[in-house]
Amino acid sequence: MGHEARVQALREFFTPLVVAMGFKFTPDREIADFLLEQEAVLEETKGAPYCPCQGRTRLREADMKIVCPCIPYHRAHFDAMRRCWCGLFVHTDVTDPDSLPQIPAAELGLEE
Amino acid sequence: MTVSDAVFVYALSTCPWCLKAKRYFEENSIPFEAVDIDLLPDAESDRLADEALFASGSRAYPVVRIGDQVVVGYAPEKYAKLLGIGD
Repeated sequence: MGHEARVQALREFFTPLVVAMGFKFTPDREIADFLLEQEAVLEETKGAPYCPCQGRTRLREADMKIVCPCIPYHRAHFDAMRRCWCGLFVHTDVTDPDSLPQIPAAELGLEE
Repeated sequence: MTVSDAVFVYALSTCPWCLKAKRYFEENSIPFEAVDIDLLPDAESDRLADEALFASGSRAYPVVRIGDQVVVGYAPEKYAKLLGIGD
């Protein structure tokens, strides 16, 4: 599968998964396209579509928690922000993703 | 700007918020250093990732060190407050 096809495949694969968790793709198409592009590259080079904004450890158990969509592993944190850390996904009722800042889990009294 | 205000950005090349953080300092003419940890050789990448983790308690990026303070995430209001500048 070519790179562009893989980007599209990731988009189609993620959509029903995140909808079931109360999220959707960010309406900021530029950010969404950039992030999906990075995930496709990470999948090609590192073996999985890791979150582009979280660091890998090379420890499988830890790294599995940042494979997109990583919402289940960070549910309380992402629900509190109403977005995931990288911003690829937002709560389904969000129309202005720019109004949702990144807030570290620790600032919200949550574990990462 | 003093040594105590020195700005360092721990970033990932894949992270748009890391790019935005670096752009913030550029646009505000704030001298800063930055490193894309994922583009470094393994040993150096691990060393700086551990440094960022120790500073921030997090694997989330960007990690921005301003003087002895650390901000996790793209947060221009926090950067401005720590630097004592208007946003």
